[in-house]
Amino acid sequence: MAVELTMARMKIALLRHALHGRRAQTAGTGATLGLLCAAATLYLAFTDLDLLAAAYAVWLLGWVLGPIFMGGGDETLRPEYFALLGLPPRRLAGGLLVAAFVGLAPLASLVALGGLVVAGARQGAAAALVAVPAMVLQLAVFVLLSKVAVALVGLAVRTRPGAVASGLLNGALLAGLAQIWVFLVAFEQTGVPAVVYYLPSGWGLLAVQGRWWALAALAALVVLLLAVWAALLGERSGTTRRSGRARRPMTAATANGAIVAKELRTWSRDLVRNHQLTFALAYAACFTTSPLLLGWNGMLPYTGPIFIVMAAAMSANVYGFDGTALWLTLMMPGTSDVRGRQLAWLAAHAPVAIVLAVACTAVTGGPWPLVLALTAALLGGAAGLVPWVSVHLLVPGTDPHRRAGNPLRTSEDDGGLTGLAYLMLVLVILTGAPAALTALLWGWAGVAAGVVSGAACWWWFGLLAERRLRSRGPELLDVMRTGRKPETTVTSRFDRLSRRRKTVAWYCFGFGAIPLVPQGIVAAVFVANDMLRHTWFLATYMPEGLRYPVAGGFMLLGLAMYGAGLWAVRPAATRQDAPDAASDAAARESAPDAPSEAAARQGAPDGS
Amino acid sequence: MTPALEIDELTKRFGDTLAVDGIHLTVPPGSFFGLVGQNGAGKTTTLSMAVGLLRPDAGTARIFGQDVWSAPERAKTLVGVLPDGLAMPERLTGREVLTYLGLLRGLDKDVVAQRTDDLLGVLELDGADKTLVIEYSTGMRKKIGLATALLHAPRLLALDEPFEAVDPVSAATIKTILRGFVAGGGSIVLSSHVMALVEQLCDRVAVIDKGRVAAAGTLQEVRGARSLEDAFVELVGDPDDGIKELSWLSS
Repeated sequence: MAVELTMARMKIALLRHALHGRRAQTAGTGATLGLLCAAATLYLAFTDLDLLAAAYAVWLLGWVLGPIFMGGGDETLRPEYFALLGLPPRRLAGGLLVAAFVGLAPLASLVALGGLVVAGARQGAAAALVAVPAMVLQLAVFVLLSKVAVALVGLAVRTRPGAVASGLLNGALLAGLAQIWVFLVAFEQTGVPAVVYYLPSGWGLLAVQGRWWALAALAALVVLLLAVWAALLGERSGTTRRSGRARRPMTAATANGAIVAKELRTWSRDLVRNHQLTFALAYAACFTTSPLLLGWNGMLPYTGPIFIVMAAAMSANVYGFDGTALWLTLMMPGTSDVRGRQLAWLAAHAPVAIVLAVACTAVTGGPWPLVLALTAALLGGAAGLVPWVSVHLLVPGTDPHRRAGNPLRTSEDDGGLTGLAYLMLVLVILTGAPAALTALLWGWAGVAAGVVSGAACWWWFGLLAERRLRSRGPELLDVMRTGRKPETTVTSRFDRLSRRRKTVAWYCFGFGAIPLVPQGIVAAVFVANDMLRHTWFLATYMPEGLRYPVAGGFMLLGLAMYGAGLWAVRPAATRQDAPDAASDAAARESAPDAPSEAAARQGAPDGS
Repeated sequence: MTPALEIDELTKRFGDTLAVDGIHLTVPPGSFFGLVGQNGAGKTTTLSMAVGLLRPDAGTARIFGQDVWSAPERAKTLVGVLPDGLAMPERLTGREVLTYLGLLRGLDKDVVAQRTDDLLGVLELDGADKTLVIEYSTGMRKKIGLATALLHAPRLLALDEPFEAVDPVSAATIKTILRGFVAGGGSIVLSSHVMALVEQLCDRVAVIDKGRVAAAGTLQEVRGARSLEDAFVELVGDPDDGIKELSWLSS
């Protein structure tokens, strides 16, 4: 056990060092949500074992899909760290497995699996006793299935076909999850299908219910998965493949042309970006075509817009993906990196989006104004927001040439990346709102509104991003280099707020989307389409006259939460947003006796 | 004469660690300046602040009189930088990287093509036209980095560990290029912890220890009658207990 215990201790030490500042907060929020889910699962153990089996199936799905979606899962301890120790692969896998049990996600899962003990205790002492090994084995199955899935995807994505295929598969799976109701309705399965018991996630529950073979099956599966994982670990420590193709020469003749050419080459050559693009494409296509199973094509026209939103969310950390290459941008202060990236983003995404929008709307025969308005507004909004969000809320990543093993893993901070993607979803959708409203009210005028708002977002957010890159470039580079937010950026501005304001902002920004989007907008759409008593959308359960008011109330609540969040951070944000050296120098000159605190904090050169 | 690089009271603190503690250095024009120090002494931090890649907590850096922080556009065209371990545009080939950066520098397309050919040829990277930078070895990365630093014919070169992981033949080539650059009136400041190399190349040396300048001046002034290595160990080593040995290793 020496190896296993040492690795577990290493993991604890690494986690302790990594959990600082924002990451600790993200982890805290994640742990809270995880424990809430676990508590809900435990509750099911007291009430409905069918639902408990279904809940475990969802946990399993989360373990398998979550890490793949977020780019590789928990790699706090990497197999490469132990490459020189000469451990046999199975020993290594065993050690890494034990270390993988250390963490917040396994902890939450273990609490959820406590449901097995509860279910056992309801049957008798023997069943409760069986539940204990079942719980551990079940958790091992969760962790190992997750590791094997990530390792398989990690192998696949080393080649372009593999990256594209895994992007398509992930996109399709997540769209399927989002549209799960379609499948439930389509198969007329109103109850919980019995299959959830026979998935590996249900075996623990089967064992507790007296079918002892399930316990043996769990143990056998653990051994098998461990062997597979050990074999896969051996595969991954290979070197990167060299490409032998001659490359088309760069024909650009201007600085801006060169940035576009560089970015377009990156979009076509970087497997991470290939994966993101195909993911967005597969997600949009599957999301809108799955209701066709029910003979309903009402979602089809929105394939293009949904693709744009998803693609923007995937590229929300575009500067983070390139890592410390930012130093070259800093060394050339006269150039406009942001505009070039915006053009390249559009060049890579707009053709696909426009073809999707036009083709799918042609199939359904409309609504043309709304779809075209949304396409124009969202394209501009996304092209503006992608660099803006990326420079303001950069999630530090691993430099491309240092990404070992899994090339899709761009950052250690999964929570940060996921949060950024969700934020981007919401922000991009908001940029489409004015055009969509105009189109709904006045038809074709919406298209003009979309073009205008799209162009405005592209120009304005691009300008803001460029300014930010100019004024805070060295700090961004420092964040990328060290992986930690320095004390002189947005975070500290946030940190200087009072505790009460911080809490307000945290909860308002963190949870404002829940009333606004699902309980407000989505619920209203469901009500409009007469889709009543729908999962957790409260408005769909209301009596006739109250449905729209409830959905509207939630939307107002969401907006109010965002408003309150903005109010909480606003004064500090406006007071210190001109950090370039020239204005600091001017500030010092105008008040020579009182050295500007802001200037000192921002480390501007001291001219005196 | 305006110094090629003038660093005044540069200070940088990371958390509780004072990485650079009020460093003052002057690199005269036409000099080959070596910055030596132990790992973590503050060499990279100092160089990063001097060229505008890391904002100092206090102090100034001027390149040929142009302040790096208040007049970055003028200062940064005068300097070519080779940082240690930072990323490049990884999905481009070496030729594409140089073309891209040359155009960004505002050079004419034909000039860029000409210089790219020359640099790739001299640094023996021209065989790697099909290879993306991400597939380069560590030594090749250093060489393409040096090529990007030289591309716009700067007047000052700031090089962080330029010879690390570079093979002896390429190192000889690079030394020739650098000597030629200084002979042609250029100035170089490089950091290294290889004393022999600094002794061989540089005419001026500064020893950095714990974020401060322990000694600075011409090579002769700093090393005196000893080798640079002895002088260095004497300056920064722990005077009480000298160099320890591993008794269990020599059985």
